[in-house]
Amino acid sequence: MSAIIILTPVVIASWPAIAAAVAGAASAVGLMVGGVVKESGKEAVKEESGQQVEVELADSEVLAKDLACDKEIVLTKGDIELRVSRDERGRCKVCAKGKGHSKAELKQLAEQFVQKMTQCFIYNRVASELKNKGFQMVNEEVMKDETIRIHVRKWED
Amino acid sequence: MAQHDVEITITKTGEVKVHVKGVKGKGCLEYVKWLQQVVGKVKSQTLTSEYYEPDVKSRIDARQQVEDKE
Repeated sequence: MSAIIILTPVVIASWPAIAAAVAGAASAVGLMVGGVVKESGKEAVKEESGQQVEVELADSEVLAKDLACDKEIVLTKGDIELRVSRDERGRCKVCAKGKGHSKAELKQLAEQFVQKMTQCFIYNRVASELKNKGFQMVNEEVMKDETIRIHVRKWED
Repeated sequence: MAQHDVEITITKTGEVKVHVKGVKGKGCLEYVKWLQQVVGKVKSQTLTSEYYEPDVKSRIDARQQVEDKE
């Protein structure tokens, strides 16, 4: 054994990488990608009753390339709608709303989605970097508690 | 040739636990640095006994010095 490290994720990426993680998390949580990428702010303001909750990814930054600040992804699950976008400070935020659902329900779904999105983002990033470093996959499995375990190997001179 | 094994566990909250095996000496710290760049902040780090073992290069160098002295 050499070292055991525990790392806290930091999500810093351009919009396409965020969008890939959003798509992965959406399918895992049972959300449908309702609209492709829409421009926020330009949409007509609809009169909607119902609760609304915002959850922010604490350690995140969506790089302002590709006009990321004007984009958002809309996800739906029944009559609940989740919108993933970049806020004014550059952080990634998820806004959940839906008629007939309590704030607690919406918050739970938004937080569940944010966790899954973070896991998908980190998985995509780690898998890509391991490949770039020349590692070979030995084993990969998803545990019952949704934990992903990856075992890779490399031979060095 | 040395076998470097890395076991990565990504929890459902996105927290990552990495176990680097087979890397002796300071080469291990290069992995730590690289993984920090890829994932994020280091929450905790434990260096195991293998870290304190000399890597192959330094072992050869030491033997050469002894031979030179003789």
